[in-house]
Amino acid sequence: MPGDAISLHDAIARVAAKDRSAFEILYRATSAKLYGVILRILRNKAVADDVLQDVYVSIWERAGSFDPTRGSPLGWMATIARNRALDEIRKKKTVATEDIESIAEPAAEFEHPLDKTERREDLAKLMRCLSGLEPGRREIILLAYCQGATREALATKFATPAATIKSWLRRSLMQLKVCLES
Amino acid sequence: MSEDNDIEMIAAEYALGCLDGEERAAVAARRLLDPALNTSIEQWERRLAPLNATIAPVEPPAHLFARVMARIGETAQDDRASNVILLQRRLRNWRMAAVGAGALAACLMIALGLRETAGPSGPRNFVAVMQKDAVSPAFIVSVDLDTRALTIRAVAAGAQPGKSYQLWLVDQSLGAPKSLGLLRPEGVTSGPRLTAYEPAVIENATYAVSLEPENGSPTGAPTGPVLFAGKLIPTDF
Repeated sequence: MPGDAISLHDAIARVAAKDRSAFEILYRATSAKLYGVILRILRNKAVADDVLQDVYVSIWERAGSFDPTRGSPLGWMATIARNRALDEIRKKKTVATEDIESIAEPAAEFEHPLDKTERREDLAKLMRCLSGLEPGRREIILLAYCQGATREALATKFATPAATIKSWLRRSLMQLKVCLES
Repeated sequence: MSEDNDIEMIAAEYALGCLDGEERAAVAARRLLDPALNTSIEQWERRLAPLNATIAPVEPPAHLFARVMARIGETAQDDRASNVILLQRRLRNWRMAAVGAGALAACLMIALGLRETAGPSGPRNFVAVMQKDAVSPAFIVSVDLDTRALTIRAVAAGAQPGKSYQLWLVDQSLGAPKSLGLLRPEGVTSGPRLTAYEPAVIENATYAVSLEPENGSPTGAPTGPVLFAGKLIPTDF
């Protein structure tokens, strides 16, 4: 790819040294991905616009704390974006259940070209572990992660008590952990 | 939540994103004080992060980039002079609006100018309800963003002999939690004015109450258990 001269790792290292041109490269390479993550949770463009700005200001300020031995640059940035979006949506009332879409199997893969190297394996493994869960359990994990659905919203959607959802989620998460570490 | 000490599961649920607002704020405050919980959250965030690859990218509006660049320009300056920066930001927003609007620019400037002099847009009054569980609020924290006044009303905290409640402002951008002083167990406490903090920090931070020795934390950081935590929600839309 033209203009693909620096990796996300290099870009973040330069952003940590307050290099504005590296920050622009990082923004151009990753903002569509982070905006997708944020929009999926917030489902409101005006709010997502504000959150995206906050997220990149955080990335600018916190780039020095990125540890390349602990995860990918895009994973680190997406986590900042997710946490900010979740904090934002939780300020409001719980998401109305009808706003939660059903999730089809997440077959499509939107891997960023700059971040694909070792990530593909991680995703493949996580997907394998997710398919080890019962189908209904897998869907609630994906709804919670991708759309930020609370236990209460999931309880309503699946007509199941919140306490049951909580124990399903916890059991599924532990099962995932065991599978990922095997 | 506060009785639930299964750190691994709390971390997993936080990273998954299924906690409600109160629970999420409590965990966000606790992770800053509890390294084991923080490490566990980071591990879960990394375990689940590959799922982001399944989310379709969406191109953000082109004008956002300039706004981000303008804001990171500001952070290089003295970000404690936040009133000045807020004003600069508003000025810049007017200018950007004006440039984009061509012939409408003059009208828009006047309209926005009038609104700005009448009072800044967006919610100005916020409240955080600090509670241990859904039915028993302990403190209500309110903030007026215009005057930066902080007021804390004790609802059902109850005095603890030989101990004091101490309020903390917790936000990743601040590093360690910042003390906002001791709280009376009954009635109303006027907290310090929050003039040292950016409005965005005031709005988005977590407010946490820990139980400390009678004269407050001897170290400047929370030493006792975090009993309550909450985030601000706007009271005027």
